[in-house]
Amino acid sequence: MRWDVFFGSFPTLLSALPVTLELAVISITLGFLLAVLLAAARLSGLRALAALAYAYVYVIRGTPLLAQVFFVYYGLGQLDAMRNSILWPVFREAYACALIALSLNTAAYGSEIIRGGLLSVPRGQIEAAKAFGLSPTQRFRHVVFPQALRAMLPAYGNELILMLKGTSLASTITIIELTGQARILASETYAPIEVFLAAGAIYLGLNVVLSFGVRLLEGRVQRSGGFAMEG
Amino acid sequence: MNKTELPASQPGLAVPTIESRDLRKSFGAVEVLKGVSFKAYEHQVISIIGASGSGKSTFLRCLNFLEAPSSGEIDFKGRSLEIGGGRAPTRIEIEGLRRRTGMVFQQFNLWSHWTVLENIIKVPIHVHGVPRQQAVQRAMDLLAKVGLREKVNAYPASLSGGQQQRVAIARALAVEPELLLFDEPTSALDPELVGEVLAVIRALAKEGRTMLVVTHEMSFAREVSDKVVFFHDGRIEEEGPPAEVLRQPRSPRLGAFLKSVR
Amino acid sequence: MNPLHLLAFGPTGWGDELAYGAAMTLVIAALGFAGGLVLGLPIAAARLSSNVVLRAISGVYVTVVRGVPELLVIYLLFFGGGQFYRYVADALGYSGAVAADAFSAGVLAVILICAAYSAEVFRGAFQAIPKGQIEAANAFGMTRSTLFCRIKLPQMLRYALPSIANVWQLVLKDTALVSVTGLVELMRTIDVAAGSTRSPFLFYMTAILIFLAFTAVSNKAFEGAERHFSRSVIGGYGK
Repeated sequence: MRWDVFFGSFPTLLSALPVTLELAVISITLGFLLAVLLAAARLSGLRALAALAYAYVYVIRGTPLLAQVFFVYYGLGQLDAMRNSILWPVFREAYACALIALSLNTAAYGSEIIRGGLLSVPRGQIEAAKAFGLSPTQRFRHVVFPQALRAMLPAYGNELILMLKGTSLASTITIIELTGQARILASETYAPIEVFLAAGAIYLGLNVVLSFGVRLLEGRVQRSGGFAMEG
Repeated sequence: MNKTELPASQPGLAVPTIESRDLRKSFGAVEVLKGVSFKAYEHQVISIIGASGSGKSTFLRCLNFLEAPSSGEIDFKGRSLEIGGGRAPTRIEIEGLRRRTGMVFQQFNLWSHWTVLENIIKVPIHVHGVPRQQAVQRAMDLLAKVGLREKVNAYPASLSGGQQQRVAIARALAVEPELLLFDEPTSALDPELVGEVLAVIRALAKEGRTMLVVTHEMSFAREVSDKVVFFHDGRIEEEGPPAEVLRQPRSPRLGAFLKSVR
Repeated sequence: MNPLHLLAFGPTGWGDELAYGAAMTLVIAALGFAGGLVLGLPIAAARLSSNVVLRAISGVYVTVVRGVPELLVIYLLFFGGGQFYRYVADALGYSGAVAADAFSAGVLAVILICAAYSAEVFRGAFQAIPKGQIEAANAFGMTRSTLFCRIKLPQMLRYALPSIANVWQLVLKDTALVSVTGLVELMRTIDVAAGSTRSPFLFYMTAILIFLAFTAVSNKAFEGAERHFSRSVIGGYGK
């Protein structure tokens, strides 16, 4: 183990960190919005819509993220329809394709977490809220949402960590984020162990901070939340 | 003189089946047993009563070391297991004692991954080395005795509480124990299921088995046991034949307790 | 020409190559899964041990492996493997050639990842065993090994099974990452076929469909296993 190489690789690796963080933040945000829509579709009661959302979730969760990244970047780019469409300027860019694939991926997992959280609220409590004359909006705001949030936060926190790790796959389509930078540095220095361990340490640090943040948030949600949270 | 002919009420000459001397147990700073000395002789049925938190269950669980006593001494069939001060009993010694006793728990504690039959035969086979065929034969006899032969292949989860407890009793009997420990065997049961379990325990008492029963069932204590032991605040407050202890309690605390459960 | 001809078996299409690649993917996944489960059990035991050192080491292992991208683990073992073997060879005074091959690096990576995830599953499952059932076993004088083999292990496996199905899914999907080492498994075959035929859409779609088929089949298999092992929970045939 060459410690000088290990420590010496941090500045170069950290220079690629913004790309990793950007990929993570944007795809988590986009993915969350899509996840809410998917969860709503699955709980909509409209059978066709729910089936469509279910099929989407099944396909994404049943296939590797790598295959999804390649499909979006290489596969869609082959289609004439895509090349002639107004979307082509987006889909020709590896960076955009990585963002799209990551967002589509996390949306599927996220929608299951949101759906599970919403369904975890006991029916009796919703019934009780109805009996006291709360409107559907009030029921959602005061009874369903606070409890669902509490139920899904740990799982969504886990998903954030998986997503942060997932951004490493962007390196397979030429993007130089943290893992991509590590590969370049490893071949330049001929010290793969030191460089990859250093990169691993950075990911680990990020994830420790992330899970600490999620736990902090969980604590706040536990404590706050109004009358619906007592009981 | 043959031991089995000793009248249960005058056991003075015999070696106790189990005896505790100055048994103490603390959980952290709280002392729950404050020096309990106790004897149970062969063929005796002893009811242990007392309010919750009086230490009666902890005492029973200390006798087979499910709770490790803090200090004191336990003799099983004249063999001493000393705790604290002297030498702590080894795991082998503890296992040896446990293999000669049977226990019935408040929550039944049947092994949920096994059928009724398996629950009864596994310990004889794997702990006592009984041949499988013999274990099965004995299990079937015991199931007939507790009235559950038709449930032989059922899983515990499909049985009512009363049925589970009767299986648990059969499981305890299958090891041919020299001492039976009952830890509030009817406390977790719905009122209508208590009778079927008490009937089985009564039948065992009639067979002359040595039994310690922690219970809240005063009628059971009165009618079935040879001796009643009343626990209060980690000590034995009063003990004696049920006719005396339950009818004319000397201790005002026992009097109050008996009024509260009536 | 119908583009599906590209998927035909024989010299004209990629059917045989894809079948070989799919078989290789399953072999890596199966070896990695089996190895990971075997390694996961002692790690879970260490996590639950009363020994502080064992607990710390296993805790760090699980946190590190789960906190680092799988791709990085594979790179480390593939590119770093040669360097690591070199250290070991030098330490042993061996100066001949040593190299890490893609297959063993890939399988080892999957084993290490699977071990971390399954250890957490096992740990949770051990903790889910009702305390009373262990107490009852103690009360009847079971030795520690009998208690473990007859009570703890079978009960733990029953609780673990649904989550172990998830770990298998994870392993199956992570296997695709091994393609970055150039090992010819399904994903690598797809990459090569997509590139040389200039039909990436068809081939990546094929990859997705093959993985979906794997998922569907293994879901069914695990469902069956779960039904079998949970018969005692539901009430079962003895009723």
